[in-house]
Amino acid sequence: MDLIVLENVSRDFRVGHDTIPAVRNATLAVARGTFVSIVGHSGSGKTTLLSLIGGMVTPSSGRVLFDGEDISAWAGDALSEYRCEKVGFMFQSASLLPILTAKENLLLPAAFRPRRPPDGIEQRAEELLRAVGLSDKANAHPSQLSGGQQRRVAIARAFMNMPELILADEPTGDLDEETESEMMQFFQRMNAEHGTTFIMVTHNSDLASRASQRLRMHQGKLAGV
Amino acid sequence: MPTLFSFAFKNIKRKPLRTGILMFAIALLVSALVFSLSFVQRVNGSIKKSSERLGADVLVVPTNARGAAQEVLLENRIKTFYMKRSIINRVLALPGVEKATEQVYLVTIAGICCSVPESMVIAFNQDTDFIIKPWLQEKLKRKLAKGEAVAGAESAFNIRLGLVEMDSMLFGNVFRLVGSLERTGTGLDTAVLIGMDSLPAIIASGKVKNLQPDDISVIFVKVKPGVDPAQVAASVEDNIIEADAMARKDIGKNIITTLKDMSRIFTMTIILAAVMSFFLVWAIFTAIANERSKEVGIMRALGAKERHILRIFLIEVLVIGIAGSVLGIAAGTGLSAIVAKTFSIVKQLSTDLSALERVVIAAMSFAGGTAICVFGALGPIQRLKKMEPLMVIKTE
Repeated sequence: MDLIVLENVSRDFRVGHDTIPAVRNATLAVARGTFVSIVGHSGSGKTTLLSLIGGMVTPSSGRVLFDGEDISAWAGDALSEYRCEKVGFMFQSASLLPILTAKENLLLPAAFRPRRPPDGIEQRAEELLRAVGLSDKANAHPSQLSGGQQRRVAIARAFMNMPELILADEPTGDLDEETESEMMQFFQRMNAEHGTTFIMVTHNSDLASRASQRLRMHQGKLAGV
Repeated sequence: MPTLFSFAFKNIKRKPLRTGILMFAIALLVSALVFSLSFVQRVNGSIKKSSERLGADVLVVPTNARGAAQEVLLENRIKTFYMKRSIINRVLALPGVEKATEQVYLVTIAGICCSVPESMVIAFNQDTDFIIKPWLQEKLKRKLAKGEAVAGAESAFNIRLGLVEMDSMLFGNVFRLVGSLERTGTGLDTAVLIGMDSLPAIIASGKVKNLQPDDISVIFVKVKPGVDPAQVAASVEDNIIEADAMARKDIGKNIITTLKDMSRIFTMTIILAAVMSFFLVWAIFTAIANERSKEVGIMRALGAKERHILRIFLIEVLVIGIAGSVLGIAAGTGLSAIVAKTFSIVKQLSTDLSALERVVIAAMSFAGGTAICVFGALGPIQRLKKMEPLMVIKTE
């Protein structure tokens, strides 16, 4: 069974008296363990598409299925639990909480879990920080980290609750070429070793080419490459 | 691992000045609440208790001495006023009167007539008395002899401290203090009491001005069962032109009426302060909500439920409200103790608040301060918790 299925999904936004279609009749099936890349111009609807899949916005029409369940029919706590347990987000910017240290930022999603966090959660946070090359920055606050380091903390945070799906919105935008390559290798390792499904939005065609399933968005419409 | 509690505490510490201002505002409100409630409760309770403890149904005083008599009996002030002794027989002859007893009030002046500080000396009729006896019997099981006196509870306290001598000079006569009264919560507490048969020697000494041998100050009346004390008081005023009378329920009425006006002023002030505090909390939490909307969006995207957001902010507001209220209770209690000394109406009161009354006032003020804080912040928090997680992405 496909992990993600989109059936004729559209999403409009109202701006004043105008209705802007951000996503139009998107249809997609993503098998479990697939690494998907989405390219497209700014404003083409990539972020809205990720938000629809991540349960952060509901479709104006159509259905979004996760593991066979229609998440577009869910609301409130069910969607929060879905975002907490099934999905790991990497936003366009690091989006760390400034009052928490790097390690605490990683642990924050665990505080929202409906069930008691598993034992060894702190060790997992330390391992993830090590994996992104920041083991010595565990107790640093975001203001003490460079933009690239903050970005890597956010990448590590997305894996904290061991999600089945990673939604990454230009996750390597702030990184230098070498670190970008390291992070991509990290993603591919997680994809290969843990079967984590990735849907990654990127402007970088080189990164996009490494994905097993490549898509393009243009004026809200989704198409294969 | 960060818990919702530790996260909330970190947020509180994030802007110490703003947190401090908010706590200070709540503390001010609560201290005003504690002060006004303590003030009103103390005066009101003290007047009521004192009039109940007097043990008389009707109080008869010289014409126009109603206010002075209440001040002596309820507020421990030092005043003298006199009427003719014969009035007691006319009172006893009125229908509905079961018994009556008289007292004479004198004022000591230290260093001139007496060796005790300025205080009331009350001469009472030991044969007819029903006012002093209930407080005296446990301490002294006989009549006071000439030249003997007993001290009110406060005076007795001073005697133990050595402020009043056991053998005191009163109006040129040596009096031996042979006992003390239990605490009555009335003007008796600060008085020195002597038998009526000691009075002739004092008058003969010439140290008391304006007091004639046949003068008395007040008559306490006990009415027959089933008789309305107000009717007896009215009867006294109708039949005895030289006297005014008050039924027990009217004793302290003037003070209580004044107190009600003061209570209204306090209430208005508290309401204004509460409304101001409410809007201050609302304004500050609106600013906090705007500042932290992005963080809330991040948390919602990471899986925080609405109740997680509500809990984080409620913990913050409760900590501020509770800390402000506790500070306010301490400040208000201290303020009551200090400022009360400058309010003559309170300074003269013989009874203080009981421990239970203090606890109730503290609890009411605590609840009030905390509730204002929570309700003030609830609007912005509700708006914040409803925030769509998409916002964080769109505002990046």
